[in-house]
Amino acid sequence: MLAIYKRDLRAYFSSPLGYVFVAAFLIVTNLVFLLTNLLTGSNALGTVYMVILYLLMVIVPILTMRTFSEDYKQRTDQLLLTSPVKASGIVMGKFLAAYTVYVIALVFTVIYVLIVAAVGDVNMASIFGNYIALLGVATVYIAIGCFISSLTENQLVSAIATLGVFAAVFILDMAYDLVNVDWIKTILYWVSIFRRYNTFYMGVFSIADFFYYLSISAVFVFLTVRVLEKKRWS
Amino acid sequence: MIEVSGLTKTYGKKRGIDRLSFTINDGEIVGFLGPNGAGKSTTMNIITGYLSANSGAARIGGIDVLEDPVAAKRNVGYLPEQPPLYLDMTVEEYLNFIYDLKGVKEFKRKAHLAEICELVGLKDHYKRLIRNLSKGYKQRVGLAQALVGNPEVLILDEPTVGLDPKQIIEIRNVIKNLGKNRTIILSTHILQEVSAICERVLVINNGQIVADDKPDNLSALITGDRKLVVRVAGPKDTVRHILRSVDGVQFADVTVQSEKGSYDFLVEAKPNVDIRKPMFAALAKAGYPILQLKSMDLSLEDIFIKLTEDKKKVKVSQNKQPKKVKTEEGSETKTPLEDTFDALDVNLGGADFDFEDKEGEI
Repeated sequence: MLAIYKRDLRAYFSSPLGYVFVAAFLIVTNLVFLLTNLLTGSNALGTVYMVILYLLMVIVPILTMRTFSEDYKQRTDQLLLTSPVKASGIVMGKFLAAYTVYVIALVFTVIYVLIVAAVGDVNMASIFGNYIALLGVATVYIAIGCFISSLTENQLVSAIATLGVFAAVFILDMAYDLVNVDWIKTILYWVSIFRRYNTFYMGVFSIADFFYYLSISAVFVFLTVRVLEKKRWS
Repeated sequence: MIEVSGLTKTYGKKRGIDRLSFTINDGEIVGFLGPNGAGKSTTMNIITGYLSANSGAARIGGIDVLEDPVAAKRNVGYLPEQPPLYLDMTVEEYLNFIYDLKGVKEFKRKAHLAEICELVGLKDHYKRLIRNLSKGYKQRVGLAQALVGNPEVLILDEPTVGLDPKQIIEIRNVIKNLGKNRTIILSTHILQEVSAICERVLVINNGQIVADDKPDNLSALITGDRKLVVRVAGPKDTVRHILRSVDGVQFADVTVQSEKGSYDFLVEAKPNVDIRKPMFAALAKAGYPILQLKSMDLSLEDIFIKLTEDKKKVKVSQNKQPKKVKTEEGSETKTPLEDTFDALDVNLGGADFDFEDKEGEI
């Protein structure tokens, strides 16, 4: 698993992909930080984190589109699947490599905290909670992206399909406010990645929601493992 | 030891391989011979655990590939048909990755990888990006990858494809050397390759084993036909008449006009008769010089026809001959690459000079 993790992480930064992801991430967050904090003199970083939540929807497909698709195309999946590594090890290696790129990008945002802390008060507990939540929510995005990548050998299809799934989740999230039927609302709340983030935005660390993220991503990692194992039976 | 029993794999309705069973002992070099789509790669993919069979089992060193895949794969080095290379890595990075991937512990990294590169002739390309390597060198990297960790079993799917003749000889020698202390299965559709490297041949056609023998026996079986191609300068009807009147000739006819005033004849001898001397004498007497004499090139297709017919205990019937003449004629006019099988035409090298020796074996 470690070998695959290392190789994939290296591959992100030996191609433009990793840089594009980190750059896109930072351009948007910097802009938001400039507008909501620097120019207005506000010390509330919540908006920046909220924007990251929506930004991931657009840039995670770039991050995950190649995870499996590229291996299928280059036939290197044959190498991985005939090496003495379990399918779960392959999936975790690739998942964690993509996740690490995201963490690298996220680490840069700590600078905002430092800037705000230098000139004013920050609610460290709330910020800490937000970071934990952002780490949690990204596992969902990346797990879904990896799963979709494992279904196709075409990177473009992978990226667009991932974007489509995220958009669908987003629309369902919007629908929550429009529906008045209780049981539909309950179901919509189950599948909403975004709404669950509100508690963190409010400054409350919700363990239930954090574990919700982790469980959803565990489901998709599991499904990805199944897809790889199923390939043998095709 | 590799044991395969009752392996069946279907792709939709099509049968990839059909109840395949064989056992390969430790230290054997076995060649899988078969045309494209015969089931060679499928079999190899199943043995290495990349694909699963619909039924049957494959065991490597007593470990079932399905039951304990990780342990079974640890003993196997696999070079798939298309070498699985990460093009964005250098050879060095790639082999180091493989070293980690296979979790090699028994050998020191640097020395082990250097030894492998020396073996497959990659030393000068160690720092180069795989993307920039030629096909032959990519194939070597693929082979090097299979060798990492010194596995007991090597499975090589068409290891010499895409190499130039010099490289082919080099790689064959490498494989031969490796085979001294390993079990090797290699697939090919080139007959020469099998006789050059392998101790045993499994001929596969349509997902079934058609023959399982030593390469020598196999080629003896095939050359048993005694088909010769003779190029004679002279009028075709007269020469045909002379050839047919030679003692021991079973069949003779014109295939193609080769040069101006000379024709190629396909001549088939009766079993266990060497017709070359009487044929020469007869033609010399008539004043028609032989310009060329060689045993007929047998294509794999012919071999399969022969083997499958032998299996059914049906003798090659006389009325089949004109058909073969036609194929021969066809191959003469085509460029070598026009037809895969023509391209793969196998010259049963030097058989025309070895008749005397071969005779004893038949």
